Amino acid sequence: MGCEWRMMSAGLCLLTSLILTVDLTLGFGPNKDMQFTFLLSAGSTECFYQTTARSDSMEVGYQVIAGSGLDVGFALISPTGYRLVSDFRRSDGIHMVDSTEDGDYRLCFDNSFSKLSEKMVFFEVNINSESSSVGGSNEWENMAITESMGEYNMEDIRAQMDSVYQHLERSRQILAVLRALEARDRYLLEDNLWRVSFWSCLSLLVMLFVAVTQIYTLKRLFADTKRVCT
Amino acid sequence: MSLQGIGFLFQCYLVLAAAMYFDLGEQEQKCIIEEIPEDMLVTGYFLLEPWEMNALSHSPHLGVTVTVRDPNHEVLMSKRYGKFSKFTFTSHASGQHYLCFQTNSTRFSVFAGERLKLHLDVQMGEHSIDPVPDKTKDNMKNLENSLRHLVDQMIFITRQQEYQREKEEVFRQIGDNTNSKVLWWAMVQTSVLLTVGFWQMKRLKDFFIAKKLV
Repeated sequence: MGCEWRMMSAGLCLLTSLILTVDLTLGFGPNKDMQFTFLLSAGSTECFYQTTARSDSMEVGYQVIAGSGLDVGFALISPTGYRLVSDFRRSDGIHMVDSTEDGDYRLCFDNSFSKLSEKMVFFEVNINSESSSVGGSNEWENMAITESMGEYNMEDIRAQMDSVYQHLERSRQILAVLRALEARDRYLLEDNLWRVSFWSCLSLLVMLFVAVTQIYTLKRLFADTKRVCT
Repeated sequence: MSLQGIGFLFQCYLVLAAAMYFDLGEQEQKCIIEEIPEDMLVTGYFLLEPWEMNALSHSPHLGVTVTVRDPNHEVLMSKRYGKFSKFTFTSHASGQHYLCFQTNSTRFSVFAGERLKLHLDVQMGEHSIDPVPDKTKDNMKNLENSLRHLVDQMIFITRQQEYQREKEEVFRQIGDNTNSKVLWWAMVQTSVLLTVGFWQMKRLKDFFIAKKLV
């Protein structure tokens, strides 16, 4: 009888955790944020898919970090097949979808116009769930709201901590974007350094070659005809 | 496996099902690039599904080989997992790491064109795993867990900012290098030009004198 009771309570525990999970993400808070950097090879297209629920707001931002020309084509296609955004050869972009449909959105990056150079693209997707932003974190749900510890109200503490968490998440996202920008600038600068060295060396060699050729051409002019002006 | 472990894994499954996914052909390898500072723990969760949810997959034993390369292109980790799992690694060098995923089915498949969905979620930094949030637990415990989450986040942000500062240092050095290289090459070219000019004049003068043209 004791064994059965224990199993039942364990089952209840699991069920509770499942119910809570449906609204919780791995942190706590209703927002999700995904960032990826990937290499897009020359002449190819890569598509990523994001699942959204009804009336969420989604923000998509991308930035080309490396690759000659620093541009890529971008398309955002809704679950019903309607093409929402179509960028042609841009180096960065931010797009917002205010009220999403239920289903999978398709983000496609297109490098088919470039035959030789591969591009490194950084993109991020932020989803703000409207549905759970009102409810807040469910794990605090059953706490007595009037419970207070001295001067501080539990409700206040919860609100403050949620606010701090949201701000920190925003900081993380901004840091990621800044990181991508810095990487792009660094690649550009390394390219510049290599180009400066290469072209300087080449022009030096060309100068020496031209100088030596001039002398010997002149000499040969006089040596061939053996004309002597007296 | 303990109940908490199962509960946690199931949480991950549900979260992953809503995460971003991309398509992966069989035997195809796709890579994700992550900029990771050194000594950071990276956890990745992935879930492999057939493209059509109701289509019977004729290779039921789906597997994913995860290969992690460090900035010097050396293999840091290469392991094979099942359909749904998590992998962790700690970076030893700071820089761009390549996380590559390749599917392989244990059965030789004649239909090589089958597409698969790979859900992916990569998290950096240590996250204190919160135990199953129990309604009967103490409020202080919940408070403590939330505070621990916040502290983890702040530690992660601080770490990232330190790394960013290091990279800016490298960036400034490259800029200085470029500047001094430009100056050096300009000076070398000017001096070579002058030297070669004098040498040419001298050779031609000697030549014309020898040929009795002047």
